[in-house]
Amino acid sequence: MDERSLIEGMARGDRAAFQEFVEQYKKKVYYLALDMAGNPVDAEDISQEVFLKVFRSFATFRKDAKLGSWLYRVTYNASIDHLRRKKFVPEPVGDDVLESRSQEDAGLPPRGAMDPALAAESSLLQARISKALENVSPQEKAVFLLRHYDDLMLKDIASSLGLSIGSVKSYLFRAVRKLQKELGGSPLISGVEASHD
Amino acid sequence: MINCRTSKDRMIEALYGELGPSEKERFDEHMRSCQECASEYSVLGATLRLMDKRERPDPGPEFWDGYWDRLSRRKVWEEAGEAPRTSIGARLVRALSGIPRWSYQAAGAAALLLVGILIGSRLITPPAPVSTATRGAVESGAVMQAGNFIERSKILLLGLVNYDSATEDAYAFDLGRKKTMSRELAAEAPAIRSALNERGQKRLRDLVSDLELIMMQIANLGSGQDVEGVEFIKQGVDRRGIFFKIDLDRMGRDARSSVDPASPAGGTKLPKKNKI
Repeated sequence: MDERSLIEGMARGDRAAFQEFVEQYKKKVYYLALDMAGNPVDAEDISQEVFLKVFRSFATFRKDAKLGSWLYRVTYNASIDHLRRKKFVPEPVGDDVLESRSQEDAGLPPRGAMDPALAAESSLLQARISKALENVSPQEKAVFLLRHYDDLMLKDIASSLGLSIGSVKSYLFRAVRKLQKELGGSPLISGVEASHD
Repeated sequence: MINCRTSKDRMIEALYGELGPSEKERFDEHMRSCQECASEYSVLGATLRLMDKRERPDPGPEFWDGYWDRLSRRKVWEEAGEAPRTSIGARLVRALSGIPRWSYQAAGAAALLLVGILIGSRLITPPAPVSTATRGAVESGAVMQAGNFIERSKILLLGLVNYDSATEDAYAFDLGRKKTMSRELAAEAPAIRSALNERGQKRLRDLVSDLELIMMQIANLGSGQDVEGVEFIKQGVDRRGIFFKIDLDRMGRDARSSVDPASPAGGTKLPKKNKI
């Protein structure tokens, strides 16, 4: 079903169209919510809220707008509301926690799938990346996630989040700079830095 | 030729390939002539390449396959004005997946303690006389439904805990069928819990909750035989004293049915043969 048929079906309140819509977008919505909220339980909760909200308020959707952009916006707003409700304060993760994080915690492939040394290195890298992302503000994080992992153009992010392109560029630049500072000790980045010294 | 400030303004677009050809040419020209900007550009690029290595945990095909059903259930609940948005069992299963092993051991110890207190309270405090009215409420349809749920769960669990992967035929064990049945049982549990809640059947409701959690764990086992997952569930059943609680519940219902032979409590018989 193409986007136009989907929109028409949903506007009629067609259950099959809504199901198709959920099937098409569930992963994108879930992963954005997961990245924003930080845990899978909240991510499913938020993603369900998003779809129910879309279902309830589809009448307010402008038919000439992009369904995906609208959905990202609803997801972003639901995630921010969720963080506010939880009075989210990012907790810095200590090195001892990073050292003790298991492979499973980092969401890596099952044991035995890779060399133990590589697995440990990869696990540590995942933990460092997670920690780095925790130190980026929700707005900066949302812009970064949409650009880097969902491959949205800057103008589409601006349209999704209701921001100007200048703001999107600014948030994105700040996010990447913060990530670079947090990950500065990584051999890959410090190698690049060293090569320019 | 652009200056350093403009080049910084365009770095993000350059990194993500969003500069037009002429802008890109001017940007590259500046990078070739300014070592400071080139260095910063290079470091930011390395950061993005590092972020490419990020992995997001996939909740697995079971999660995605059941997404629409869970969403539909929640929609029905919300339309009916009921509270349970995400089932406690589901939240627990997913929350538990990130908890270190030592905390299960601590929880197991706490569960043992609770079971001890439960036994103590049953032994020390004689059961209060049951009035006809109370008995009528207790042995209601909800309780019968819970009894049926518990017996079916017990049969399924017996098949699971008695399975020995080293000596038994994995085909005959048929984990796929057990997962399907567990999913069905887990789907029934919220309505039973809710009905028991209304009737103040806390102990029975807690047992149904425990079983719901285990059913969801079975339903979420990996593909193939998932021996590790099965072992984990067996240990959980053992730690929580599930069979002991089921037997206690059964004894309680049998005792009540002997007081009132007309009570339907005796109606939920354990099938003679495990057909799972």
